[in-house]
Amino acid sequence: MSVYKNNYRAYTGPVTPLWMRIYVLARYGFAEAWSSKITVALFTLSLLPFIIFLIIIYLANNPIAQLLVFKNSSRSLTVDAGFFLGTLQTQSWIALVLTAWVAPRLISFDLADNALPILLSHPISRVGYVFGKFMAMFTSLSAVTWVPCLLLFVYQCYSSAQPWAMANLSIAVGLFVGAVIWIAFLSILGLALSSWVKWRVVATGIIFAAVFVPAGVGGIVSAVLRTQWGLLLNFPVSMSVLWQRLLGAPEFMRSASSLPTPAIVTVLVLASLLCVAMLNARIRAR
Amino acid sequence: MTQANYRILFENVSKFYGEVLGVNRITLSIPPGITTLVGPNGSGKTTLMNLMTGLVQPSSGNISVMGLTAGDATEFFRNVGYCTQFDTFPRGLTGWQFLLDSLMLHGMSKTDAYRLTFEAIERVHLGDAAFRKIAGYSKGMRQKIRLAQSIAHHPRVLVLDEPLNGLDPMARAESIALFEELGRQGMHLVISSHILDEVDRISDRVVLITGGYLIAQGNIHQVRQEVRDKPMQVLIRCDRPELLASRMFAVNHCVEARVHSDGKGIFLRTGDIDQFYSMLNGIAAEGLIKIDAVAPADDDANAIYQYLIGSDGSAS
Repeated sequence: MSVYKNNYRAYTGPVTPLWMRIYVLARYGFAEAWSSKITVALFTLSLLPFIIFLIIIYLANNPIAQLLVFKNSSRSLTVDAGFFLGTLQTQSWIALVLTAWVAPRLISFDLADNALPILLSHPISRVGYVFGKFMAMFTSLSAVTWVPCLLLFVYQCYSSAQPWAMANLSIAVGLFVGAVIWIAFLSILGLALSSWVKWRVVATGIIFAAVFVPAGVGGIVSAVLRTQWGLLLNFPVSMSVLWQRLLGAPEFMRSASSLPTPAIVTVLVLASLLCVAMLNARIRAR
Repeated sequence: MTQANYRILFENVSKFYGEVLGVNRITLSIPPGITTLVGPNGSGKTTLMNLMTGLVQPSSGNISVMGLTAGDATEFFRNVGYCTQFDTFPRGLTGWQFLLDSLMLHGMSKTDAYRLTFEAIERVHLGDAAFRKIAGYSKGMRQKIRLAQSIAHHPRVLVLDEPLNGLDPMARAESIALFEELGRQGMHLVISSHILDEVDRISDRVVLITGGYLIAQGNIHQVRQEVRDKPMQVLIRCDRPELLASRMFAVNHCVEARVHSDGKGIFLRTGDIDQFYSMLNGIAAEGLIKIDAVAPADDDANAIYQYLIGSDGSAS
């Protein structure tokens, strides 16, 4: 039997608030995501369309340069809501590719290494853990979606000879809100699917499948039942409809125009809740 | 302050994973010092530790650690340190960064985290290796950094899952010395280990578990004395072991005798230890046999494990 001196002193100093602890996890996740050369390559790739859009805005606002490029052609470049819908769509699909690569790195590694017991034995809850990873994912996706889109918007405001910004402020709001909805959904979807698969490559494939397989199913439903409601399962289409309405752009697909906005939002919310349930089942110290 | 504020208490705790039993109806009261969990693989040791550290919630029953429950995560985890048996490190970090971030996850300010990181590195004797990437660590170094992580925030309760695995003899001795020092200072240490010789050396008490059921708990010697259906073995160092054996076999509670390899002692196995000692006193008083020392030979963790759990891991 030991003779106890009872002189052990536990730490009694101040502790930081919960959000600062979650920030540590987000920083871990962010560092993990960007430590891969492929992530950097994908980000670099995402700048290519951005540069092309930048050139288009330059040309659209510079009659001399436009004349030199198009010579005697009657074509003209217009920067409007439709143009920004195109930028948002392009950047959003790059975000999907980035999600499929990054999300498994954030969760699958922890599951494969059985890291959850050690991480969850800190004063952060399971919610805190997921939120930290979500923040890392959301921040990474922001860098390829609303940030470049708003930079293009700012450049257009700067380049336009006419007073353009105030009249088109709703486009900026639409770009921001539309991108945030999409990357929030992608983040939670990516994390949820990654939490069920330990192998990163498989998780990447499943994330793509989760977006495109329901689209195929939705197409079959629409064809068999002769309805447009199947398009609700087609995330590429339903999101485009949502963005088009947020930006006030012209219709791009007549068949999808009948989809009510509340129905699209409801499908996104239900899918997100399913993802939360999946995370709740998997993110546990076992 | 009630007793619960100084103890780890399990009250009729059960944990089921679906239909699989983790642990069943465990009632424990663990005081300060070193307590070792002993049991075969899959016996429920890690489940018990996960319950103790709030990582899993019990299916039924109540757990309190120093009067705290996992519901108050900040206060609970400030008081509990857990060294898991898994290699669980965020990739690309040095040992030093890992400890620093772990302390910041515990809610320490950066200044406190820096100070405590250096202190923990010193305590586990990690030295300059702390500034190398964990990915390049040997198994022993990884074990040390895990241990450092669990003690760095000065918890009052330290739960260590197989902390001696992978350590070389020198590092093992250092770790044991650290556990003993922390135990003496009044910290609660709960250790699971398969290395029964070391369990004997460091434990104030053992908790034997198999198949999710608690088999025995308490001081090793007390537990051995409770196992009355297994004859107890005693080593007697004396000058005439053969004569002592013949005298002892005259009574029917003495069931086995084996002369020590050096010929200066005898192992005797008896079914009634009280009678045995009483008779031994009589023999010593006669003066025919010079008895130098008497010591129990099988009231160690290894013997208790064999008697209560069996070599196949099933409770006997």
